[in-house]
Amino acid sequence: MSSTEHSVDSNQSACLVHRLAVLLVCLVWPLIWVGGLVTTYDAGMAVPDWPGTYGYNLFLYPYKTWLLGPFDLFIEHGHRLLGAVVGLVAIAIVVTAYLKEPRRWVLVLAVGLLIAVITQGLLGGMRVVLGDRTLAMLHGCFGPAFFALCVATAVVTSRHWRTYLTPSVQGPIGILQLWSAGTLVALSYLQLVLGAQLRHVQPNAAPGGFAMIVATHVILAFLLWFVTMVCWVRIRRCGDLTLTRPAAFLIGLVAVQITLGVGTWVVNYGWPSFLEWVPGSTGFLVRAKGFIDSIIVTSHVATGSLILAVSAMLWIRMLRVRHCRRVAATSGTHEMSEREQKQYGVSDSILKPESA
Amino acid sequence: MPTAAAGQDASDVARELYGTPDEPTWPERSSLQTLPLSTRNLVRAGGPASSERDGTHQGLFREHCVTCHALEGSGAGPASVFQNPYPRDFRHGVFKWKSTLRGLKPTRQDIRDLLVKGIPGTAMPSFALLDPDDLDALVDYVVYLSTRGEVERRMTAAAVDELDYGTELPEAELRLASKASTEGGEVVQQVVDRVHAGWAEAAENEVAAPAMAELKSDELADSVKRGKEFFHGRIANCVGCHGPGGDGSLQTLDYDDWTKEYSTKIGLTPDDHAAMKPFRDAGALRPRLIKPRNLQDGVFHGGGDAASLYRRITQGIAGTPMPAVEVVQESNGKGLTVDEIGDLVRYVQQLSSPQ
Repeated sequence: MSSTEHSVDSNQSACLVHRLAVLLVCLVWPLIWVGGLVTTYDAGMAVPDWPGTYGYNLFLYPYKTWLLGPFDLFIEHGHRLLGAVVGLVAIAIVVTAYLKEPRRWVLVLAVGLLIAVITQGLLGGMRVVLGDRTLAMLHGCFGPAFFALCVATAVVTSRHWRTYLTPSVQGPIGILQLWSAGTLVALSYLQLVLGAQLRHVQPNAAPGGFAMIVATHVILAFLLWFVTMVCWVRIRRCGDLTLTRPAAFLIGLVAVQITLGVGTWVVNYGWPSFLEWVPGSTGFLVRAKGFIDSIIVTSHVATGSLILAVSAMLWIRMLRVRHCRRVAATSGTHEMSEREQKQYGVSDSILKPESA
Repeated sequence: MPTAAAGQDASDVARELYGTPDEPTWPERSSLQTLPLSTRNLVRAGGPASSERDGTHQGLFREHCVTCHALEGSGAGPASVFQNPYPRDFRHGVFKWKSTLRGLKPTRQDIRDLLVKGIPGTAMPSFALLDPDDLDALVDYVVYLSTRGEVERRMTAAAVDELDYGTELPEAELRLASKASTEGGEVVQQVVDRVHAGWAEAAENEVAAPAMAELKSDELADSVKRGKEFFHGRIANCVGCHGPGGDGSLQTLDYDDWTKEYSTKIGLTPDDHAAMKPFRDAGALRPRLIKPRNLQDGVFHGGGDAASLYRRITQGIAGTPMPAVEVVQESNGKGLTVDEIGDLVRYVQQLSSPQ
């Protein structure tokens, strides 16, 4: 096999890892939605055993009983099935990366992904077996982190990542820009953790502690929104749409999330007193287990995960841009050594497509 | 403190009689069987939330109520501080929205109606979408928590007042006990019987609301006009709290009975932070001034139908400063007749209706 043929083959293999990673992202966000519904409907204990379902193997549980049974059973068993599919895709990513991916650190990342999905499954299973709300909260906190990890895998295995050698940015991607994007990741995850504390609140929790978490959650929401704006302002002229578009998207997404947060509070506890000027608020009736209400609450959870994932994607891409600029600056040329090509997952066919 | 030992013994006896909120039991005493509570319902409503294969939910109170009302029904759940008014503390055995005489317990139907309708403008949801069996279980559990809490509170008071509990424990004969063979046990029996009887007799003490006749437009206008005079008049004096035309513009300086228990009733000022601190540290909520309803926005927490308003005017609202108007046979300057209260009801209903 010639080196050119090998490069093309390697490139296609890396594409397969990327496609699997994208599939994983497309599966995990719905998984977060279904998991959110499980919590919203208090269906976490709808199936008392684990890893089986009412004594059946997870995959052999009668589908008619599942689809036509109680809603709690439907979403809890569905959550488990989807989780199992995610686990299988994670295994496929590890195998594919082991066989074809030239970058060793990507293989390590894929293994980390598999370990993460196993950990998440164990947390969910232990939550059921032990009936423990704290484990449910940990399960709820770990899910978004896993989602962000999936997005990171998809980003680093993408064609854009492998072909991005000539920095096209016009403005600087300095430490401040990196910090603002990193702060977005940290803040959005902290928000998810705080939200999980409210959502999985212990029945004997002190009102003062709950109030403090609520206040922190609200303040950080606006701080997060502010940081998204700062981040966008700082990179808006960099000329790289793969950075400016997610940054702009985040501003809108956090705005939607704040609105959903208000909605979540309203459908759970009614209108807060400082919003009594809103028409109809003084006579608003909270309805327990309403479908639309449940969707509002669950979408708040899912959007939080999406914000984390987009922030992580932006941050990782900025790291990549900064790194490539450094490489270009130190070498004084865009030519890469064989070692560097291997390190960054770059094939000759990408560097010199005319030779392929 | 004298109440510390009494409180501990009362807590122990309450646990012997009623189990815990997570593992509720119902005491086996003859007089208690008059309460139609289902032990199965109590077990279903208590404990951690889960669901059965057939969709039956367990742990209903934790699933639906505990975040506001707290495990033992104290009304000081994690989310309670954000609500105004605070969630109900069941342990006093006092409920606002009911069809019975002011000082008495609500009927089971009153609690069920409240669960189904919810309370507009507050965090109390409508549970209309819940399975009827779930609602019955929650009603039983609310009665259980209220009974358990009130018995414990009354036992503590009786221990200090009647059984010589001081800074030290009294002799064995005088200690609170779940068995009636001692003096302390007899006091417990009396407390339990009294609280249970209150619930058992609630249905017999419903306030009958007269049917309101449909009036023609001119008759209705006259009735509303008379009602307005009563509203702003000396006898009902609704304007004194609800403001002119019921606009809720007046600021009152009063509190509800749940708050007064650890403030004005023991000679403390509710807005004295230092005086309230020990109670706050013990889990009591910060006293808040009570807000008379703005009747013009058409939001009635206890229902805006004629029968509910009639009962509210003639009984007041238990646990709050809202007084009752005396019902008299003939106008005598001290109360209002049934017809006059009907005029007042029509005026209040008209306040929020489109002109």
